[in-house]
Amino acid sequence: MTTKFLKKENLGKLIDTLIGEGSIFVAPRMGARQVVYAPVSKFEEIVFDYIIPINSFKEFLFPQTETVAAFSIHKEGVDLRGVEIEPKETVIFGSRPCDAASVASLRAVFNWDFKDEFYNRREDKAVVMTVACTKADDSCFCTTVNLTPDSQKGSDILLQETSGGDYAVEAITEKGKGFMDRFNNFFEPLPTAYSPLPTVDIKPIAGVDVQKVKEWLKDTKHYENPLWQELARKCIGCGACTFACPTCHCFDIVDEGSAFEGERIKNWDACQFEFFTLHTSGHNPRDTQYKRWRNRFMCKFNFYPNKFSSRGCVGCGRCIRVCPVRLDITEVMEEISSLR
Amino acid sequence: MENTLRQKARELLEKGEVKVVIGYGWNKRKTHTTPVFITKPQDVEKLIFNPLCVNNLSLYLTRKFPDIKALGKPAIVAKGCDIKTIAVLISESQLKREDVVILGMSCNGVVYKQELWKGELKPEIMPTKCHNCDVRNPHIADIIIGEKVNFTPPDTPAGMVFDKIRELDKKSNSERWDFWIEHFNRCIKCYACRQVCPLCYCERCIAEKNMPQWIETSAHPRGNLAWNLKRAMDLTGRCTFCGECERACPVNIPLNLVNQKLALVVKDAFGHKAGYDEKVHPPMIVFNMEDTEDFIK
Repeated sequence: MTTKFLKKENLGKLIDTLIGEGSIFVAPRMGARQVVYAPVSKFEEIVFDYIIPINSFKEFLFPQTETVAAFSIHKEGVDLRGVEIEPKETVIFGSRPCDAASVASLRAVFNWDFKDEFYNRREDKAVVMTVACTKADDSCFCTTVNLTPDSQKGSDILLQETSGGDYAVEAITEKGKGFMDRFNNFFEPLPTAYSPLPTVDIKPIAGVDVQKVKEWLKDTKHYENPLWQELARKCIGCGACTFACPTCHCFDIVDEGSAFEGERIKNWDACQFEFFTLHTSGHNPRDTQYKRWRNRFMCKFNFYPNKFSSRGCVGCGRCIRVCPVRLDITEVMEEISSLR
Repeated sequence: MENTLRQKARELLEKGEVKVVIGYGWNKRKTHTTPVFITKPQDVEKLIFNPLCVNNLSLYLTRKFPDIKALGKPAIVAKGCDIKTIAVLISESQLKREDVVILGMSCNGVVYKQELWKGELKPEIMPTKCHNCDVRNPHIADIIIGEKVNFTPPDTPAGMVFDKIRELDKKSNSERWDFWIEHFNRCIKCYACRQVCPLCYCERCIAEKNMPQWIETSAHPRGNLAWNLKRAMDLTGRCTFCGECERACPVNIPLNLVNQKLALVVKDAFGHKAGYDEKVHPPMIVFNMEDTEDFIK
């Protein structure tokens, strides 16, 4: 597809137009002293000099807390109501290629047996505008999981920053093309001379062999390897990694309200929590923390890739950045890769 | 200092006085420190101590970690501020003094977050607790490691947290309410604050009691307010201001502010400062026949 040009001033106009039409424009912005994906109301709120937001943008496709049904009880009977959502168009600007790749992972799990309309309707209305990475930090490891800082996977539109602060823009999907055609007054023809900023060079972690990790995990006799306990002993069992993770998708269903009226709510849940697997009998199959940590790792590199064609891990590095005890998933990958 | 630490750790392990040394080590790329659990004398070389050693490792002495307890008697590398938490754990019968060997580290301060480290410990990258620290020379320890530190904390507590408390105290109730609601609204219910807190050791947190559901698990404003207030109240008079909850919070809720404010309230009301004496119980958890109030008798 043809490459177009988006000047910074036209980005501002694009935002104004979209918001005028009632769309939501999500972009990297400051939130409590750090860069986060959040809705912006104007161009000036966007942060352009960033590596990756601390949160993933999954909350705009799969909200942390969402009402899925409501109930009330009267003398005459019980009234049950489903919730039909009609999401607004949501443009996610400044996504990173790793985050964009995670959309396929979420779609796979939310359409595997049951078609989750809450997720699908939101994703259908989302336009992912990814900006290729020109910078990285020491937690980034996309190339180790076979992605690249300018990968197109999952993006509707891929932008490349130029030295003047404008963007060379390419539509990747039909949705992206439709979006660019709709706003063709802002997406201009490519000028004859422009200098794209070089994409950051992220070296794959030398000691990691993802295929080998997968094979090792598949072998059930390694399930009780003492290595797990050793590597995950320091895990404190919070949900920071899973909540920051763009591909983690587990949720819990709770009822809130009074005995006579209330809502059924879908909330993010985390396999790292002790009560995630607690049975009503009192038995907990994952009774210590290392087993919970092992599960998350197995999910990313074994269960998920065996079940779906998309990725369990996109190498964004968020779980490393937010971990209060610096339990680095790549160190565990390295450790397992080095086993004979 | 690190050499002495390693030597002491080796001696303890070799003599069998402890089975595990809970300390700090480097991550693989040597950019961050991370908790390590040394069980073999030959592994003591992994132990380090520097201004990046921010974690309060006393967390690992609690019943939240049965597999660490199963390793046997621990020695713990602890800064003065971490020892304060150990003192509270002892006073609350979570730990017996003789069941842990405290390797108390003389400390010149640590960084607020490891990412701020640029090779030099400047006052502006240190947390408020370090600016007012009166335990740079560990107050309870079996072995003290490092040179004596000469540092006198200021008479009036200094630093961002205290400045902000003074600023908030001047505001009206509704302004303060707005301030806290705005911050709590960001909460994502990851419970990193609870999990990283050595004093949050309940076997079943009230947030997980659902018959009835005392604290709504949803990350909506009501659920977030309930959770954050509940946790603050539980720590009142017990919190030693180690700052781990704020450091762990992925959405930067200023938890040091709420916990320190409550610590000041307790100090004014009861003259109690948590963490200085393992024989003294926090005021909110004791009943005393000499109490002047008669409503409870």
